[in-house]
Amino acid sequence: MKSFEMYHPLVLFYYFMTVIGMAMFFMHPIYLVLTFMEAVLLNFLLLRHGFWKKLMMYIPLFFIMAIINPLISHNGELVILYVNDNAVTMEAICYGMAMALMILAVIIWFNSYNGVMTSDKFLYLFGKLSPVLALTISITMRLVPRFKHQIHIITQAQKTIGMDYTSGSVWERIKCVTRILSILITWALENAIETADSMKARGYGLPERSTFSLFVFEKRDGWLLGVITLLAGISVAGSFLGYTTFYFYPTFSEMEWSLTSVGFYSVYAVLLAIPIVIEIKENIKWRYLRSTI
Amino acid sequence: MALLKIDNLNFYYPEEIDSALKNINLTIEEGEFVVLIGQSGCGKSTLLKHLKRELAPHGKKSGDILYRNERLEDLDMKTAAAEVGYVLQNPENQIVTDKVWHELAFGLENLGLDTLTIRRRVAEMANFFGIQSWFRQKTVGLSGGQKQLLNLAAVMAMQPKLLLLDEPTSQLDPIAAMEFITTLHKLNQELGLTIILIEHRLEEVLPLADKVVLMDHSEIIYTGHPKQLLTDIPKNHAMHDALPTAMRIFNACDQEGDAPLTIREGRKWLLQQPVEQNCVSVDENYVELGLVVLEAKDIAFRYEKNSDDILHGFQMHVRAGEMLSIIGGNGTGKSTALKILSGLEKPYRGNVFVNGQKLKKYRNSDLYREQLAVLPQDPKTLFVEKQVRKELESMQKVAMKASAEKLAEIISLLDLQHLMDRHPYDLSGGEQQKLALAKLLLLNPKILLLDEPTKGIDAHAKKALAHILHALLKQGVAIVMVTHDIEFSAEYSSRCALFFDGNLVSEGDPRTFYSGNSFYTTAAHRLSRGIFKNAITCEDVITLCKKATTNVSV
Repeated sequence: MKSFEMYHPLVLFYYFMTVIGMAMFFMHPIYLVLTFMEAVLLNFLLLRHGFWKKLMMYIPLFFIMAIINPLISHNGELVILYVNDNAVTMEAICYGMAMALMILAVIIWFNSYNGVMTSDKFLYLFGKLSPVLALTISITMRLVPRFKHQIHIITQAQKTIGMDYTSGSVWERIKCVTRILSILITWALENAIETADSMKARGYGLPERSTFSLFVFEKRDGWLLGVITLLAGISVAGSFLGYTTFYFYPTFSEMEWSLTSVGFYSVYAVLLAIPIVIEIKENIKWRYLRSTI
Repeated sequence: MALLKIDNLNFYYPEEIDSALKNINLTIEEGEFVVLIGQSGCGKSTLLKHLKRELAPHGKKSGDILYRNERLEDLDMKTAAAEVGYVLQNPENQIVTDKVWHELAFGLENLGLDTLTIRRRVAEMANFFGIQSWFRQKTVGLSGGQKQLLNLAAVMAMQPKLLLLDEPTSQLDPIAAMEFITTLHKLNQELGLTIILIEHRLEEVLPLADKVVLMDHSEIIYTGHPKQLLTDIPKNHAMHDALPTAMRIFNACDQEGDAPLTIREGRKWLLQQPVEQNCVSVDENYVELGLVVLEAKDIAFRYEKNSDDILHGFQMHVRAGEMLSIIGGNGTGKSTALKILSGLEKPYRGNVFVNGQKLKKYRNSDLYREQLAVLPQDPKTLFVEKQVRKELESMQKVAMKASAEKLAEIISLLDLQHLMDRHPYDLSGGEQQKLALAKLLLLNPKILLLDEPTKGIDAHAKKALAHILHALLKQGVAIVMVTHDIEFSAEYSSRCALFFDGNLVSEGDPRTFYSGNSFYTTAAHRLSRGIFKNAITCEDVITLCKKATTNVSV
């Protein structure tokens, strides 16, 4: 899963938000199955071997969620059996399974999202909203590991002059820990002065600061953004026209197989397949390139 | 037109009567490589900070600093930030962001440049400094040398016309320091960049300098080419100890004229002298050694189960009254060895013996009192109080047995009297180290372990440290020192050992040890190799030279 990730963070974020947003509202069985299948496929491409392990964890989750609904909801016309005078209906079971499938699909989509949108991409996107916050986060990300390292050094140095927080009475241990923290804070403040000098020396504080990043919005990013918007627009329109609606209660509404509805189903399928198609296309291209060498 | 002209600059820190800078006049031409030298506290850093407007210290100032005939204060803000670059001493503290590429771009972002320009400049810098391979890495994982190179590259990305550096290599090991200095030389030669550098490593830097500026007590006492430096400064000036070996020998032999700067020039000069070849130096003072107090037997150690062994079959011993220096490359595990010896890390095989008893058997409170003490690389990790006096008094309480006499004795031995009311963080590197050492000595250790004690301190402080260590040796303390400083270990230790591949591979007294090595040896030995048989320190060479000249005159 390398080629889809290489798209601009904005495109990636936009794509996942649209897909996940729609997946949460479309309860039509065809849509559900599509969402789930393609979520699994994409996740498999992303994680490869790690995926099966995760899937094992999802199966019991699915059944738990599917079972809960028929136990609390007794609506529906197709009664299978009675438990303590409560009807267990076909509709409730199906609705429970549909809900479970939807939640699972959304979880798996989020999983893929996490794999693709690494923290630096997220920070880059939201740094645009607030450059100061973005810089602060960047500085913090540098300081945290430094502090950890320094605590270790101070602890060892203190241990050799008999201030060991791992032994002695509780009172002594507390004394040692406060001492270590006090040294750390003095050290941090002292060093912060030098860091501030280094920032000032490189012109921090001048007006009109710009923000640089390694991400470039290329032409292909624009194209993909357009395609996503178009496909998502059609799907949303279909939803307004009622093609994504499906009733489980009082009993199942009829499945539609008209040309228009199949058209809407395929548009949705294509939208979800974008990362998979990009990935497979790239793979084939590489294989072809290698074979010609 | 001079690039920089300092006109009668005087400066007083707030509420200080003595001036920090006195009548400074200095002209620096475009493309010059200037080295600013002087003892610590002479005002070098204050002067350098004045040249960078953003960092100029507060206080009372008179006189002018002209940058291209314009007063520094009148420069446009962006020009001032970009055209004068400043690199500080500590590589860690200067890095602001978490990613290498972001650090390179940081200054350019501040200047408000657009993405395309930044992209090009960052790419240029990454190429020039060889950063490509770690361009996308996090800054935390870089080595000290890489960090300092990154700091330099980040400043260079702003395309400065004048580069100021305040002891940039003091925290680096010799190899990284050499690489850094070579890069500076390249910048100066290939881009014609003007550089003003404060540096203690004169052996490497002085031969590259076009101009050397010597400061003493807030004043400039010499400006000119390094070769003539000797003729213009007083014969017994304290700065002599810091000069390159060739210059020191030349000076001690009362020579006139252009001094040799490099080993090559030094050898050439020495070969022309009427010296007897293959003279042998002998050590006069032989010291009686005590019992073995610290011993390591067949130590094996690794940090993680699946990593490689850092120590493997490590053996060593040290006797009372003996100073053992462990030298060796960077990151080979010397410091780890020290941690094992001090009980901070546990070996998975082998044992450490302290006074014949296994280290494991000691309770921490017994081990670190009256037995063993470790001087950490960063002395600040031991400081808690706001005043040197309180620092020592609080330690006196911890070490229950330390009497007031003991404290007074330590203070006078380490020469701390005049510092008692200062804040520990305000002391110079050498003074901080002495304070840390004083705290340790209150615990009355029999074994002293030192981790890079000469890192970042000047020649004068090194001499003072050696004096203290020798006084301790006389009291029967055993010292183990891990160091990069070949000259220091050659001059002062009783035994040297080379750490390589998890073990000590060769050891011996400094004279046999260093005269046996051809690369890993002192400058004085490299200079006199093949001329004198086993001279390893400057003093050796000087004595032999003098002996030869008196022989000739007789």
